[in-house]
Amino acid sequence: MDLVGYLIVIPLVAGAIVRIIPDAFKGLKEGVAIIVSAVTFYLTIMLFKQGWGESTYFGRVIFRLDTLSSFVLLWIGFFGLIMILYSFGYMRGKPYLKQYYGYMLLTLGGAYGAVLANDLVVLLSFWGFLGLTLYMLIETGGPQASGAAKKTMIIVGGTDALMVLAVALVWVMTGSTSLTQPSIPTITGLSVFAFILFACAAFAKAGAMPFHSWIPDTAERAPISVVAFLPASVDKLLGIYLLARISLYLFNLTGGMMLLLLIVGAFTIIAAVMMALVQHDLKRLLSYHAVSQVGYMVLGVGTLNPVGVAGGLFHMVNNTIYKGCLFLCGGSVEKQEGTTDLDNLGGLARYMPLTFFSCVIAALAISGIPPLNGFVSKWMVYQGVIELGRQGGHAWVIWLVAAMFGSALTLASFMKVLHTVFLGIRAKKGEGPREVGATMSVPMLVLAILCLAFGIFAYAIPLKGFILPAVKRVLGMPEQGYWLGAWSPGLATLFIIIGIVIGLIIYLTGRLKATRSDSMYVGGEILTAETRVSGTDFYKTVSDMGFFHQVYEAAEKRGFDTYDIGRKISFYFIRGFRALHTGILPHYLSWMLAGILVLIIILLR
Amino acid sequence: MQIIPLFVAIPLGVAFFIPMVARKRPRVADTLANLTTLALFLMAISVIGKNGVYWMGGWGPFKHVPLGINLVLDGVSVFMLITIALISFLVTIYSIQYMDKFTAKARFYALFLLMLAGMNGVALTGDLFNLYVFLEIASIASYALVAFGCEHEELEASFKYLVLGSVGSTLILFGVAITYAMTGNLNMAQVSSIIGGELKPIHLFVVALFISGFGLKAALIPFHAWLPDAHPSAPAPISAMLSGVLIKTIGVYAMARVMFNVIGITPLTSYVLMVLGTVSMVVGVLLAMGQDDIKRFLAYSSISQVGYVVLAVGIGTRFAIAAGLFHLINHAVFKSLLFLNSGAIEYATGTRDLNKMGRLREKMPVTSTTSFIGSMAIAGIPPFSGFWSKLFIIIAAVQAERYGFAAWAAGVSVLTLAAFMRLQRRAFFGERHEAYDSAKEVPGTMQASMVGLAILCIVMGFLWLPQARETFLIPAAKVLQEGLNYASNILGM
Repeated sequence: MDLVGYLIVIPLVAGAIVRIIPDAFKGLKEGVAIIVSAVTFYLTIMLFKQGWGESTYFGRVIFRLDTLSSFVLLWIGFFGLIMILYSFGYMRGKPYLKQYYGYMLLTLGGAYGAVLANDLVVLLSFWGFLGLTLYMLIETGGPQASGAAKKTMIIVGGTDALMVLAVALVWVMTGSTSLTQPSIPTITGLSVFAFILFACAAFAKAGAMPFHSWIPDTAERAPISVVAFLPASVDKLLGIYLLARISLYLFNLTGGMMLLLLIVGAFTIIAAVMMALVQHDLKRLLSYHAVSQVGYMVLGVGTLNPVGVAGGLFHMVNNTIYKGCLFLCGGSVEKQEGTTDLDNLGGLARYMPLTFFSCVIAALAISGIPPLNGFVSKWMVYQGVIELGRQGGHAWVIWLVAAMFGSALTLASFMKVLHTVFLGIRAKKGEGPREVGATMSVPMLVLAILCLAFGIFAYAIPLKGFILPAVKRVLGMPEQGYWLGAWSPGLATLFIIIGIVIGLIIYLTGRLKATRSDSMYVGGEILTAETRVSGTDFYKTVSDMGFFHQVYEAAEKRGFDTYDIGRKISFYFIRGFRALHTGILPHYLSWMLAGILVLIIILLR
Repeated sequence: MQIIPLFVAIPLGVAFFIPMVARKRPRVADTLANLTTLALFLMAISVIGKNGVYWMGGWGPFKHVPLGINLVLDGVSVFMLITIALISFLVTIYSIQYMDKFTAKARFYALFLLMLAGMNGVALTGDLFNLYVFLEIASIASYALVAFGCEHEELEASFKYLVLGSVGSTLILFGVAITYAMTGNLNMAQVSSIIGGELKPIHLFVVALFISGFGLKAALIPFHAWLPDAHPSAPAPISAMLSGVLIKTIGVYAMARVMFNVIGITPLTSYVLMVLGTVSMVVGVLLAMGQDDIKRFLAYSSISQVGYVVLAVGIGTRFAIAAGLFHLINHAVFKSLLFLNSGAIEYATGTRDLNKMGRLREKMPVTSTTSFIGSMAIAGIPPFSGFWSKLFIIIAAVQAERYGFAAWAAGVSVLTLAAFMRLQRRAFFGERHEAYDSAKEVPGTMQASMVGLAILCIVMGFLWLPQARETFLIPAAKVLQEGLNYASNILGM
């Protein structure tokens, strides 16, 4: 067995073993989990350096390493390690640990397998298996999570079933299930259908609309380390990886399919961020942003030009970093303060400075504030869309406006989060919470620092290191300098730092001389926790506006949830069929008679 | 090939023997029944890869014209024998402790083995009238077994099953009679060589009779109405047998055998089978989704899954038939498992109502885990067996350019997943309800049987690996796909 084989087998076997070890040996479980995730992370680094490889079993190339899969692999390994480390603190004292670490490792193994698979059937198997482990991980949230787990399984597993059909179609069209076969142009009805089915699976996994609705539910109910690990990071990597794989390698997309991706991307950005604006729960709010950000990735991949795709893939990495960080911050807040309800939070910056720091960095990154990483990748996506415009047509303006507007709304939404959770007055009485322990704060800080590093040194580290090589092979290398547009991160950072320094100087000098600080004056009233200004309803005006009001109301009733629409349609038919089953024997006999008559008529016609 | 008649003779003999010696001694009955099913299982394994014809009383064919009645062992009979033996063996293990709550265990085993003899006979027989006789033996035993609890509900279900089942049997008998009138023969091989694939209107009429008759036994929609009453009413091991193997043996297998090997398949009949399969697949799963009674839910889902098998067999390529048979044995395993799980829940909590369960995984870990595996298998989640058979059915449908049917198959897979996730949530994962407090894990033999089936759900995917496929599935598919060559194989022409 080669390196690839070990990478997949070790976590799977270890996961199965950890799943069996009794709960009494908790330390052993944690130990195995962290060691195995560290080992596999090391292996992914080795494989990343190796950069290329094929593993043959049963006379076929089953696993294949290339520039695209190797960096996705690296990130999965990285997040596996970070999240398991974080879980030590976060999951302490929670039930179902037996399941938890076991399925975390199984998920890692499955994810490696799915990314490395060179055969569609192998990909499909690992993909489906990941749905299963995702379900079991959500179930570790206890009985109240079982509804979300069921919904997730139905959406993710259901799109897997569609992918089965897609694989069958590809096999019949080309006679092969290999991923390295020549691209299939999406010109025939069958190939379009197959592509759409694959895209559904990718959308469901990554959480793009209209298959996004499992993410908010899961985020609310499941342990937050699971949310940070799967929907926020690994599932995003996998979903966008699959989308890139099929859009760039397996299929050769025509204008229509490109348009589909662009529409899905732009719509997801705007619709999800609008939903995020009005959420009352931190976890749910973050999850809508997780959905919204997928839109940028889909948009980037959908442009099909080197800048856009590189931007999309870079955004995928960036998103996992800052979104993972945000969820971990949310988890820390939940752990220490016991709630994620925005109405009951506030003023935590003083008590949890590390969490606050990480959260600010990640929030600015997700909002696309320079010089953080989120800005660079969004910038590249914009460049990709503009590039699209150079080829003619006017639709690109819509995509660009959607993307930029979405970014502004994201910033608005995170202002609300930062204010409500960390600033203002603490909602709860009593002693303030303490900062989380090292196993929880280190992962957050590492991710926050990555947000900074990938922004400031965008070209030197991530782009040159793994994003551009991945794009280069299929789409050709973009010209030096051109792909970043007019953006120069180093210079910009310098300006921003100078700006901040000047600002600080003014602030400090001014403060020394002229200001005095006092408590807020509200007509003589004493400001208590009851009268404090929570940020929860910052954007209530948006949801109260005429047209939006109706849309939001429908969304609250789950009128746009694919899952619920499907359920309503199914139950409409079910009621009809059930009404026919009266339990009366003569009725049944008459159906039978009708059946025989129809058969005779058809056969003897 | 002296072993062939023993597949019928042993269960038939033991069925009469058990009530004689073991009426008051249930453990003796347990032992005898388990030994019998074990022996049948070992015998079935020993005939893998073998072919042969057994002429009753030594009356072999004279100048290629059969004189006596024959039993035929070929790829597809071996396949059915294995399926029947495997499930019945695991089910009898389960019955040891499950059936303790019923009186008259000896009678239970007697009827059980009688049903087994009937099914083995159907799988082996080479004679149309014998087919009908064995089918009636199996059916009548199953009518009695459905009523075994002797409560109001069981008796009503059994009565409905009896009436509808008898109509089905009559249709089959009618078809056999017309065939005899047309050809002057009842030997399947001989009839097949006389008809020779040229179908006149009267033959098509016979086809209609057979499809509706066997279709009723296989519970294809619209001939399914007895099943959702009958299967839940029987004791759990019998539900497992009925849904797991009976509807497939006397329904799907018998229909496929007659259609492919005796009358000869035409594009039209093939299309009819595909449509029937698809309708059952879709409507069955939709009906299942609305059920609150766990066994009734499983019963409707059986209709849906048999639809897959019929669809695949109807497509008619060798690959499709092999995929269909693969799904048949997989479904036999996971549906038996799920019925045994439902029996375990009923045993532990006394209810079948999904609304009264919840969070049982904490009290019944073995039942919960095995049921989860079974549900994942039936929903087609990798790496469990159902994933592979559904995958190959869909590939086979696409390969035969039946895109619409392939799309339905994929869509039903989504609905099946939704239905079984609902079951899992209601029974094992969701919030606690009244049945939670009294629940405890079931006794050892019941657990052993469920664990055995769950392991099979995991490993059965390997049946599609080249070596296993070539010795087991492909020979079975080949027999059906080669159609009328059946006659020359039997009669040595």
